[in-house]
Amino acid sequence: MTMGLTDLKTLERDAFRKFYDDGIFDVYVGTMLITMGVAAVVADRMGSEGLSMLLTLGLAVAITVPLLLWRRHLLRSRLGEFKPGPARRRKISRTRLVLFGSVLLGVLAFAVATIAFQSESSVDVAGLLIPLLWFANSMIVFGAMAYLLDVPRFYVHGVIIGLATPILIWPDVLWDVRVPPWLAFGGPGLVVAAVGFYKLRAFLRDYPVLETEVAADGEA
Amino acid sequence: MAKPEQQATVTTTVDRLIHEPARLAIMTNLFVVESANATYLLQQTGLTWGNLGSHLIKLEEAGYVDVVKGYNGRKPETTVSLTDKGRDALLGYRGQLLEALAPLAGD
Repeated sequence: MTMGLTDLKTLERDAFRKFYDDGIFDVYVGTMLITMGVAAVVADRMGSEGLSMLLTLGLAVAITVPLLLWRRHLLRSRLGEFKPGPARRRKISRTRLVLFGSVLLGVLAFAVATIAFQSESSVDVAGLLIPLLWFANSMIVFGAMAYLLDVPRFYVHGVIIGLATPILIWPDVLWDVRVPPWLAFGGPGLVVAAVGFYKLRAFLRDYPVLETEVAADGEA
Repeated sequence: MAKPEQQATVTTTVDRLIHEPARLAIMTNLFVVESANATYLLQQTGLTWGNLGSHLIKLEEAGYVDVVKGYNGRKPETTVSLTDKGRDALLGYRGQLLEALAPLAGD
């Protein structure tokens, strides 16, 4: 029986953190980045942005839905379910606020890119600014998730994912060196997904499926 | 080492229903959440279904926890939450324990 002497705050934090130990969120984020790389290759080869966006969307749905359904089953059968207390609910609400803010920052980045590309001399400005905004956004989103959800490895994910666009654009703008999109997005994506798979393997090993609850009349 | 009479004082002044390690584990785990299902408690405490069930009955009889039996889809699911009385009892237990152990710290 687990009866370590621990304070209640730590007890709550550790219990909540377990629900991110499965690594599926990491696999999901990593796979999405790899998908962006694949979509960029498709757009490049077929010369169709529309097809590329359609492919990204289709792959995103095909990856997200089964992963989320599996995650729900995985967590329920091994960790059970709980409703968080008021302090944790406040943290989750703040995380949602930050995620909403990151969407606004994304819109701002899009606006900056549009304005910058419209003026003749500012292509380099956009080339320098967009990766910075991408990096900032990544750090805000994953930093907030790491801090508010108490999952420190998301800080590292923020940095790795944040590097994707600078790797893609800055060498081109500064030194005229083209980094293929599959590498710029696929590289960080692969690292994050690999962390996810490692965590998933450990989760499956450390948290066995618990016995099913049996109803009073004996029906399983 | 505490004298026998000191030990007796400690165990008689604290809430013995909560003082039992398994029930203390259940109570503390419920204290930090709004509610949890039995599988969650099983995972958190490391108890067996049988032990968990018997301890929950005792805590429910004392009015410390609310046990709701229901179904999640076709599977039976028990949801447990700490009552206000249970919350107060755990806080009271903490105070009792601190008070009882204070002499050991030379206070």
